[in-house]
Amino acid sequence: MGEFKVHRVRFFNYVPSGIRCVAYNNQSNRLAVSRTDGTVEIYNLSANYFQEKFFPGHESRATEALCWAKGQRLFSGGLNGEIIEYDLQALNIKYAMDAFGGPIWSMAVSPCGSQLLVGCEDGSVKLFQITPDKIQFERNFDRQKSRILSLSWHPSGTHIAAGSIDYISVFDVKSGSAVHKMLVDRQYMGVSKRKCIIWGVAFLSDGTVISVDSAGKVQFWDSATGTLVKNHLIANADVQSIAVSDQEDSFVVGTAEGTVFHFQLVSVTSNSSEKQWVRTKPFQHHTHDVRAVAHSPTALISGGTDTHLVIRPLMEKVEVKNYDAALRKITFPHRRLISCSKKRHLLLFQFAHHLELWRLGSTVATGKNGDTLPLSKDADHLLHLKTKGPENIICSCISPCGSWIAYSTTSRFFLYRLNYEHDNISLQRVSKMPAFLRSALQILFSEDSTKLFVASNQGSLHIIRLLEGSFKHLHTFQPQSGTVESMCLLAISPDGNWLAASGTSAGVHVYNIKHLKLHCTVPAYNFPVTALAIAPNTNNLVIAHSDQQPLPNDKTLLYNPLPPTNESDVIRRRTAHAFKISKIYKPLLFMDLLDERTLVAVERPLDDIIAQLPPPIKKKKFGT
Amino acid sequence: MVQLRPRASRVPPSAMVDEGQPASEEEEEAEHGLLLGQPSSGAAAEPLEEDDEEGDDEFDDEAPEELTFASAQAEAREEERRVRESVRRDKTLLKEKRKRREELFIEQKKRKLLPDNILEKLTTAEQTNIKKSSGKLKEANLQKENEDCDKGSDSKKAKVQKVQSVGQNKSYLALRLKDQDLRDSRQQAAKAFVQNSLYGPGTNRTTVNKFLSLENKRLPVKKAAAQFLNNAWGTQKKQNAKRFKRRWMVRKMKTSKK
Repeated sequence: MGEFKVHRVRFFNYVPSGIRCVAYNNQSNRLAVSRTDGTVEIYNLSANYFQEKFFPGHESRATEALCWAKGQRLFSGGLNGEIIEYDLQALNIKYAMDAFGGPIWSMAVSPCGSQLLVGCEDGSVKLFQITPDKIQFERNFDRQKSRILSLSWHPSGTHIAAGSIDYISVFDVKSGSAVHKMLVDRQYMGVSKRKCIIWGVAFLSDGTVISVDSAGKVQFWDSATGTLVKNHLIANADVQSIAVSDQEDSFVVGTAEGTVFHFQLVSVTSNSSEKQWVRTKPFQHHTHDVRAVAHSPTALISGGTDTHLVIRPLMEKVEVKNYDAALRKITFPHRRLISCSKKRHLLLFQFAHHLELWRLGSTVATGKNGDTLPLSKDADHLLHLKTKGPENIICSCISPCGSWIAYSTTSRFFLYRLNYEHDNISLQRVSKMPAFLRSALQILFSEDSTKLFVASNQGSLHIIRLLEGSFKHLHTFQPQSGTVESMCLLAISPDGNWLAASGTSAGVHVYNIKHLKLHCTVPAYNFPVTALAIAPNTNNLVIAHSDQQPLPNDKTLLYNPLPPTNESDVIRRRTAHAFKISKIYKPLLFMDLLDERTLVAVERPLDDIIAQLPPPIKKKKFGT
Repeated sequence: MVQLRPRASRVPPSAMVDEGQPASEEEEEAEHGLLLGQPSSGAAAEPLEEDDEEGDDEFDDEAPEELTFASAQAEAREEERRVRESVRRDKTLLKEKRKRREELFIEQKKRKLLPDNILEKLTTAEQTNIKKSSGKLKEANLQKENEDCDKGSDSKKAKVQKVQSVGQNKSYLALRLKDQDLRDSRQQAAKAFVQNSLYGPGTNRTTVNKFLSLENKRLPVKKAAAQFLNNAWGTQKKQNAKRFKRRWMVRKMKTSKK
């Protein structure tokens, strides 16, 4: 490995948004995570926790509940009062249906998977029938006095438990009337002025209802008689989420202090048949509120305001104790947020609603290995480009020569031309972009900046030739018939002849740009592709998969390996030098080779993210 | 026949009209008196009016005025007719006024509504077969009502209160603005509820700085807090100082050049 000057960039002020809901799908071992800005991400837990799909957010969509229905359908309900179904193939929203009950606070799918229950602001519980292509309103249950904040079905589908403010109601599904109304104490053995908010309920098959509330209590109720059975005080702050495993022998709760408690059903004495619920393990992996938890057969999943998604495999459930059984903390998105213009030393940062363009600083000093060189010219913030409208930016790119910037939201595509004169920048928007370019998942410029490649979420790939101030649509590669999958990753060879594109399920397609046709397809591997790159001189395509095995694919001669993407430290790399892992960097978001002797690495220390989060619960420690 | 002056009537004419029977009886009596009566009842009637307050006692002895039944009847009918006329006139006046106002409103409404040709297009568009690309169908986004309107009615859309969405041509959608406001306000209220229950008064929250500095306080060698400096303190003062310094430097340069 040669000597490199490394630009360590820390001015990318990226703060991920907090996690609000988590839903686990057992059949496909996938996890759906929704964040406070409306983004929904789908993680494939069997493929090394890779984030394979995501739906960009929207400002008005404040999702409060997320659930999976039969047949891999994903529904969410939010404070704008709409039930949204997501299309997992085309990566867009199928439809949004207004529930006409005000903001939706909770949602639950029946155990058979064909009915959907929604708890609204006006206190009504609405039942919807899930039809093959839409959902249909069936009826309303008895209306309650205050908002329904949590819902849970009995495994047989005959009763439901609804948690509200200061009370829990048990409804009979057939008649729609409230069978019991259980009043919850505002404070554990005491009085309080603050109302007790029931953040989560769970209905077990033996008729026990477990409720967690804002006073820090976990309570067990008997739904047949409507009485309190057991009371656990586990925290001084709210307990905000609960998830029960499928076998109903363990459940997990998350608190506002960041602690996650695991409760298990154990026998009273070693050989008696009587069992009781015991709090077994506390986990402190979060610093802020844990607003969502999920229980998969082998792991506990939790996410909250501190934006980390923590997956904790349970030791007793895991068969093979290897690297898989370690704790996983996923903080950063598994997609590229930074692009670099090599010629002009510019970096383009993508945020949710704006883009920032920075010029890298320069130095004239030299030093030995490991030295930190002083900057002669500081990094410069050149441009702050805000997007119009409430939608989030999906992807963005800057051309290698630095004169074109392109970004895309769900409904529009923007292309800008930059002009540089003596340290000043002027921006010109190219208007009337064609409609088929919107909702692009990946944008890439060719090395000579004359062509723009756009991968849309319908599975097609567009090539646009860029001219001075205008553009011309060159070609569109349509997806192969029968598959509507979205192209997620693009890579272009430096000489501009080859383009590699990978989708979510099929293999990697390689296109010949000169002749504008498909050249070959690398067959699909078990694990999805996380990174693609084409080496400069040799035109080798190197593919890195989520199980951290890079697969070099010889197209011509030499073998030139690429470093893998580690999921905790390094998220994306696009370098072309040999395998040597260096651990001196803080969490890396981006790395690229500017020229033969210079690297740029964008780091995002976790402390900087924590410093910008909302306030956490106060912890009293002795001696402070 | 005695010529009767129109009396500034002591009894209102409507009462006379209403109580037809008793009035006629009264007049019959008066008529009798007149037949007997005095030729100078007119003269006698005058001082009766002028000295009404004073000399009531004087005329008590005199016979009542002479009135023929026919004349009284005629008078009564006159009065009635006059009253009816005035009422009718009032009514017609009011009707005219209302009519004029109605016409004014209709005219204003006509100006407000879309011009006729566009209304025609809207109604016929449901029947005609429009071949638009499937991409357009997906563009019907409830939030973007003004985005891709190709009928040119952008300026009118904000005033239209409620318009059905045009069937096949889904390139735009007209909405009632009141509904959106209501929805927004409810969403705001819901967000405020969550914010209040999690971060409001009574919750035990602390700043991130204090949270991260807890460790530093308990170390054997105590360190400073994680964010020791408050850079946001006194920003206005610092800005003023910077501006003053710049101006002072410029002034100094000017004077030193001279």
